[in-house]
Amino acid sequence: MDNTVVISTPPHVKSKRTTRGIMIDVCIALAPAAIAGLVFFGWLALMIELVAVAACVATEFVYFFIANKGFSNKCKDAGKVCLRWCKQFDFTSVVTGLILALILPATAKWYEVLIGSIFAIAVVKMLFGGTGKNLVNPAAAGRVFMFLSFALTTYTAAQIPALNFESGIFTDATNLHWLLPSEGNPATKITVLDLFLGTGVAGCIGETCKAAILLGYVYLAVRNVIKWWQPLLFIAVFGFAAVFMSGFTYIASGGYIYNMELFLPHIFSGGVLFGAVFMFPDYVTSPKGVYGQIIYYVVAALLIAILRYFTKLEVTSFVIMLLNLFVPLIDKYIIQKPFGYKKQKEGK
Amino acid sequence: MKAVKGKYYFGGVHPKGCKELASSSPLETMPDPERVAVSTLQSLGNPAVPAVSAGQAVKEGELIAKADGAISSDVFASVAGTVEEIREETAASGAKETFIVIKTQSGGEKFRFPVLNDPTAEEIKERIRDCGIVGLGGAGFPTAVKVAPETSVNTLLINGAECEPYLTCDHRLMLEKTEEIVRGARYLAKALNATEIIIGIEANKPDAIKLFEPYEDVKVVILRKQYPMGGEKQLIYVTTGKKVGLGKLPADYGVVVQNVGTCFAVCEAVEQGKPLYERALTVSGKAVKEPKNLWVKVGTSVKDVVEYCGGESETPKKVVQGGPMTGVAMANYDNYTHKTTSGILLLSAKEAAADEPTPCLNCGKCADVCPMRLMPMNTAFYSAAGDFEAAAKYGNVSYCIECGACEYVCPAKRPLIQAIRKTKAELRKTKQGE
Repeated sequence: MDNTVVISTPPHVKSKRTTRGIMIDVCIALAPAAIAGLVFFGWLALMIELVAVAACVATEFVYFFIANKGFSNKCKDAGKVCLRWCKQFDFTSVVTGLILALILPATAKWYEVLIGSIFAIAVVKMLFGGTGKNLVNPAAAGRVFMFLSFALTTYTAAQIPALNFESGIFTDATNLHWLLPSEGNPATKITVLDLFLGTGVAGCIGETCKAAILLGYVYLAVRNVIKWWQPLLFIAVFGFAAVFMSGFTYIASGGYIYNMELFLPHIFSGGVLFGAVFMFPDYVTSPKGVYGQIIYYVVAALLIAILRYFTKLEVTSFVIMLLNLFVPLIDKYIIQKPFGYKKQKEGK
Repeated sequence: MKAVKGKYYFGGVHPKGCKELASSSPLETMPDPERVAVSTLQSLGNPAVPAVSAGQAVKEGELIAKADGAISSDVFASVAGTVEEIREETAASGAKETFIVIKTQSGGEKFRFPVLNDPTAEEIKERIRDCGIVGLGGAGFPTAVKVAPETSVNTLLINGAECEPYLTCDHRLMLEKTEEIVRGARYLAKALNATEIIIGIEANKPDAIKLFEPYEDVKVVILRKQYPMGGEKQLIYVTTGKKVGLGKLPADYGVVVQNVGTCFAVCEAVEQGKPLYERALTVSGKAVKEPKNLWVKVGTSVKDVVEYCGGESETPKKVVQGGPMTGVAMANYDNYTHKTTSGILLLSAKEAAADEPTPCLNCGKCADVCPMRLMPMNTAFYSAAGDFEAAAKYGNVSYCIECGACEYVCPAKRPLIQAIRKTKAELRKTKQGE
């Protein structure tokens, strides 16, 4: 035995799972949504995805390079710093870029995407301390930043037309009129199936095809990256709350009507499903304990249902950003009780 | 009795067992080494006080250090020979320990207590104290204290979980000494006045489960493969459904837990009068040539044990005394086995975890797997900032059993156990300062 032996506290064996592995898993889970965006919105979507990912990774690199004194001493250590960056690169910026691209409409200009990505990584993530330290989901913050700066509220319809079922009545009730293609498209009626598949629906690149998102959800749940019940809890609470809210609209025409048929249109419209699977369960910005998580998802779902009803806008990113700011508070006050805690109370 | 399935508890991890390395090799007795160095600290509590002096001749099994206080245990010569010296040395745990070095003399005499036939409860308790028996699962709590609880006990729970990866010595013991373990358990039950004997065995040892089923007075519970299943509170919960409250002892709930190795030691102490100076341990890991299960004398140097197993097959990355989840990493082979040493592992670079930690992601996986439902990430966060009071408050650190499940599962490879231990040590310091 020589001096290479390592001394440390136990455990001496650890799981093979790493941060990098988890982030690659998330990228894989996002792939179906990204590909669906390509199919529905064409080359523009690919351009946005590439610009966002490249801008995010590049911003992270530049920040790391400057922060680690890559420029000092006439760039003497530049090579070393680059090597260190490669070693610590954990794919979080790729995930941020990809998510940001997928929650943008295909009408976004390339420079808008570039500015949004730089803001998301440089200001929201790196200035707070990088991976694991950011208060707010960078992708959500970047989306909100772009929403406010460039008024990105118009959505193009998918290239593939709606399936044209006769019974399409749902968009009125869900209050999301912008889901309807605004001009020159004969398909003004959209069915639940259209909403699910994304055919003929106007929307963001990755949020349109719900089938692809569900595929990503199954992958994440099977790989145990997210807890399987989290998106389900969120979606269920949101669906019921939204149906309840729309029930009020029918008061004038004769009492409460809880039209459960509206449940699916509500959850399948807009970015709720995408947010539930890819953005709310983000490790860094969601509560750590199980009880905190339950509160977080329920409050988020109710807030989105209420805000969407009154504002008639896509509010998922806003709500994510808003609630992220409450997470430290939740973590501080909601601590799970140790095993055997109750018994002690009884004994007193 | 026919085996029944145990309950599931919240949390836990599923590390790779790696038990196949040594599980098929039967227990063999390692020949006496040239010299042994027996530590006087063989259990929780105070170290024993040496009762011999340099140059004195001792028999195998003779008392060489007397217990000091209630929570302490007698120490015995593990070989016959002469005491060479009594010296202080830093052990693998980092603490100073007093070692009594004995040079082996072949063919020396053996010391035995008189054999007890049909003993009473008091006689058994006395014998357990006389023979210096301690919990052989790892913690090393003196068994004599455990069998004299202040409350009445009706259940004796035998821990055959052996949930630590790599270790197989308890498994081999259960296969080869089934009868003795059951007899030892009966003696313990008699000493405790317990009416029920339960043995919990993890589901990955079906052969051992089958061997215990024929005994009508032993209830066999099949435990799920879940780490840490052998944790006292977890084991009691899954076998009896009782939740041991915080700060309470299992005896307050009428349960006493003993390891299978302890049962065997009790059996030998009662029926042969043999003091505890020898134990079964597993030598395993991919970096050792021949993984084995051995009967090793207390105080044998790790070097001798490794050499007996054929030496290294490759340079080990980590050398561990105990199990891989809770054991102590050693800097070199100049350490000696204790009554509580359940294994010596030579982990290769492929097996041993030595990754650099990356930033915490707040994923909460550590809290999800914690068998005590604590929040290890809070402890790590606040202790890194030097606020140990907050670390204890938000992480509930005083209830931590240091099983290592949190650090095992952490994708960022954060040193959580280190943070927990540091916090505990700081809390002790402030308590003493008051």
